[in-house]
Amino acid sequence: MQVFKNIYEYRELLKTNIKKDIRGKYKGSFLGVLWSFLNPLLQVVVYWIVFPYLMGRAGTADNYLCYLVTGIIPWTFLTTVATLGTPCIKNNEGIIKKVYFPREVLPISQVLSSLINFFISCIIILIFCVGTGAGISYHLVFLPIIALVQAILNLGIVFILSSVCVYVQDVEFIVTFLLNMGFYGTPILYQLKMFEKAGMLVRLIQLNPMTTIIGAYRDIFLYHQWPDMIALGIVFLFSFLLMIVGYMLFKKLEKGFAEEL
Amino acid sequence: MENMENAIEIRDMTKYFKVHNEKMHTLKERILYFGRGQAEIHRVLNHINLDIKKGETVALIGTNGSGKSTLLKLMTKIIYPNEGTVETNGKLTSLLELGAGFHIEFSGRENIYFNASIFGLTRKEIDERIDEIIEFSELEDFIDQPIRTYSSGMYMRLAFSVAINVDADILLIDEILAVGDQHFQDKCYAKLRQLRDSGKTIVIVSHSLGVVQELCRRAIWIYHGDFKLDGAPSYVIEEYLKQIALDNQQRRARNKTLGMYKNQGVLYIDTPVESSIYRKAEKTKIFNGWMVTDSAMARLRVSLDGKELEGITRHRREDVYRAYYEQYAGFLDVDTLGWEKVIDLSQLDNGEHQLKAECMEPNGTVLYSMVNIFSVID
Repeated sequence: MQVFKNIYEYRELLKTNIKKDIRGKYKGSFLGVLWSFLNPLLQVVVYWIVFPYLMGRAGTADNYLCYLVTGIIPWTFLTTVATLGTPCIKNNEGIIKKVYFPREVLPISQVLSSLINFFISCIIILIFCVGTGAGISYHLVFLPIIALVQAILNLGIVFILSSVCVYVQDVEFIVTFLLNMGFYGTPILYQLKMFEKAGMLVRLIQLNPMTTIIGAYRDIFLYHQWPDMIALGIVFLFSFLLMIVGYMLFKKLEKGFAEEL
Repeated sequence: MENMENAIEIRDMTKYFKVHNEKMHTLKERILYFGRGQAEIHRVLNHINLDIKKGETVALIGTNGSGKSTLLKLMTKIIYPNEGTVETNGKLTSLLELGAGFHIEFSGRENIYFNASIFGLTRKEIDERIDEIIEFSELEDFIDQPIRTYSSGMYMRLAFSVAINVDADILLIDEILAVGDQHFQDKCYAKLRQLRDSGKTIVIVSHSLGVVQELCRRAIWIYHGDFKLDGAPSYVIEEYLKQIALDNQQRRARNKTLGMYKNQGVLYIDTPVESSIYRKAEKTKIFNGWMVTDSAMARLRVSLDGKELEGITRHRREDVYRAYYEQYAGFLDVDTLGWEKVIDLSQLDNGEHQLKAECMEPNGTVLYSMVNIFSVID
């Protein structure tokens, strides 16, 4: 309970931090905040042009453009949290050495600002859904629940990464690689059924929680059906557990932050 | 907390720092040298037990490196003890490092919000206090300008004003009362006195024993990481000064037997200041300054244009004593630190003159010297 009391007391700090995260990142660039939407969009265009040639029509799904958008934008949510969240303690060395405040405010605000960004990006997904003829349905009411599951997963990840990063700075580079690997280990560009004969590999991809989460997003945006509740429930439990473990690790490592930095 | 009357409770608390010969930061180094203890353990605080009651004003005193600032940092929870516990009860503000979270590109007003939010204030609470903060900082005309345009004094004034107006139950202060000009300092002291009298708990680390005596009702002396003495400030300070004097004499004696010791001295010429100009019409002028030394034999030699002056009088200099007691305690006599000599300007020729002061050993070794040039005109 102390956790929630702490966060509540420092809600103003959380708010100013989120504002700084959203506005500060692109400060000085010509297009400003627009970049956080433009980036995944440009990525989509590149894949949309290149991959049908690589995989042939059989590999790409129907309405491939919409399939890509519904995969890449949720994936971008994870990558922003991981790449910006990992050094979030290190980057705030100045204030961490100077004053006490609940350190978890930093990773939490990172996840929340990315979540807000993601919700805004969902408008782009909707535009694509309508534009490509996939349409929109009432299944969208499930969006906040899936986003919440992903946010909890992201929070667990960033608790671990940001606190370990203070002690072992290589984490930042490992994260870059892992994200790259995860991108291909999740059915974002391809359909899972292409790997049916891959045996071990397909098992691993199925175990990836992001596979379930992106699948759920596609169910509600693209296929207009309810997501696989059992699979999503398991991912939620896993994410929740990861968040608890991550928080405990963070709390343990937190005590050395000011000395290690 | 064992006792709810306490604002700060420290129980059997030990803190040490690991000093790595080289900081092992990369994963490779961590794995390669895992378990190979290169780290030296440097104990900073040893088994400290301490209770500070609500509403008390307490000073932590000790020499440099005694661990008192570390103790303060432990109270703020920036760092954590290795053994034992440090518990605090109530909202706490530290004035350890001012201006945390300041962004130089933003205006003073926006920075008040940033800074105060780090101290855990909500927007509403900041809104309520903002006028008071701006008024205290005396920066009304500049408050909407980016703080990169501020002078360092203005910056510190703003930072201090935020910190002191947070309305915390416990205030931790580390030697920061050197903020701004005399007028602002007086204001800070007045504010601190007001906070003290309104029942806030205040913990101060200070080398300025005058401040300790005036502001605090209790002093705690930390000696090389150990809890040494606790009580009324005048008593603790007296014992503390005795110990420093003893330590200095012992160190000197030890170093002397090792043949490593060199006597030291420092002096200063207050008047005349360098390149000053005097009119003969002023007739007489008092030239003065001060000298401290740990050599029992060294004497002050003041010469004007190479000729030694006779009849120099010595007097009391409390300010000099306070500045140098830590280094020279045991060798200083506060009543004879200052020197002065009345000079008859009419005796001097027009033109440049040279006043030289030296701290000289009987064998002619000069420990310290200073020269100021001044001119005499009609």
